[in-house]
Amino acid sequence: MPIPSRFEQLALPHQEAAFSLAFWLLNSRADAEDVVQEAFLRAFRAFDGFRGEDIRPWLFAIVRNAAYRTLNNRQRTANVISLDAAFHRREGDTGTPLDVAAEGPSVEDALIRKAERDLVRLALAELPTAFREVVVLREIEGLSYREISEITGTAVGTVMSRLSRGRLLLRRALARKTGKDCSHAL
Amino acid sequence: MPCDRHAHLLSAYLDRELPDDEHEALARHIADCPDCATLVSDLRQTSSAVAGLGREPMPEGLSQRLRQSLEQASDASAPSPSQRPVPALSAAIVPRHWTASALMRQAAVLVFACLLSALATWWFVTGSARDTLLARDLLSAHLRSLQQESPIQVASSDAHTVKPWFAGKVDFSPEVRDLAAQGYPLLGGRLDTIAGRRVGALVYKRRLHLINVFAWASDAPDTPPTLTMRNGYNLLSWIRGGVVYTAVSDLDGDELKQLSQML
Repeated sequence: MPIPSRFEQLALPHQEAAFSLAFWLLNSRADAEDVVQEAFLRAFRAFDGFRGEDIRPWLFAIVRNAAYRTLNNRQRTANVISLDAAFHRREGDTGTPLDVAAEGPSVEDALIRKAERDLVRLALAELPTAFREVVVLREIEGLSYREISEITGTAVGTVMSRLSRGRLLLRRALARKTGKDCSHAL
Repeated sequence: MPCDRHAHLLSAYLDRELPDDEHEALARHIADCPDCATLVSDLRQTSSAVAGLGREPMPEGLSQRLRQSLEQASDASAPSPSQRPVPALSAAIVPRHWTASALMRQAAVLVFACLLSALATWWFVTGSARDTLLARDLLSAHLRSLQQESPIQVASSDAHTVKPWFAGKVDFSPEVRDLAAQGYPLLGGRLDTIAGRRVGALVYKRRLHLINVFAWASDAPDTPPTLTMRNGYNLLSWIRGGVVYTAVSDLDGDELKQLSQML
């Protein structure tokens, strides 16, 4: 077993986050896998130029750039919706949704939770990319506005307004999907 | 929609990304405003619903594939000991490579040293000559302005008319003040050319003496005023805020210094 390089020590711990980010930008697991492979190779080659303390924003920016290149190649830069993203069954899940209920309190509860989760996934997948990326970086990766602005190459104020707009759009989409009253929605 | 003014801030409020004073002010507002309070709680729910999705899990085997491709890449860029060429070959190759790069480095140092000495010589020879040339140019410009019908292109005693007039005409913004109260009324401004370069000129008056204050941009640090005399005229130069100023007049040197202090 070869000794891992400094790059591997710093970057490999972020592979799950990198894959998740690429997935949410591309709405496709297959494309996300290609993008993560490409991004890690690019990051490895550019590692001599890395001078920061925290590798995460730097690495994520490379992942993001690779994802956008793929998006551009696909000729559909925004609003990529794929049912793969919305209703993809996680590897851990097996068989029919009914199996999930085996340990749960009731079949009905488990079904409702799964349905709600799928709705959130679909709503997020339908969000325009510019909003989706800040929402994912904030909600799923828990990054600060400053870190997000570094990754997306935008001003902190832009991150703030996109995040605000993205959440409002999501809220409205979820209200519509669940059929809740949204009379006071924006 | 309720509270237009706050809606876009509520999201940053939830993330605690607002400055402390804004955060507290908004917190007080939310306590009093049921609409904003509802929106905040909706946003919080939305936020935790997305956070609850968690990361998309990696496909099986991707981690292994990543490691492999990185190993291959690092093998390609820096051969591991087992893959290095046999000793005899490496002895033949490595020193030659080393010698070539060392020679290049030495050559670069030599070229650099030559350049540096040439530059220093040029600086030494032309430095003093350049200053006198500049002074002569400034004086000529001053005399030229006296011969013309009017020494100014924009006639105004209002600093707020003269200063904006320079915008877009020169690549810097000179200090413009009307000093009529101090006995140095501002007549106006003009563009001039000194040493082939476009400069701004502010024209002041002191009794019957006309004063041209030439100004141009410079990277040099601030320096206090220094007075020189040429053909009976006084030239006072100083640098402030990245702008070189030179006041030229037949006015007494001390009075010229007073002007420079007030500008």
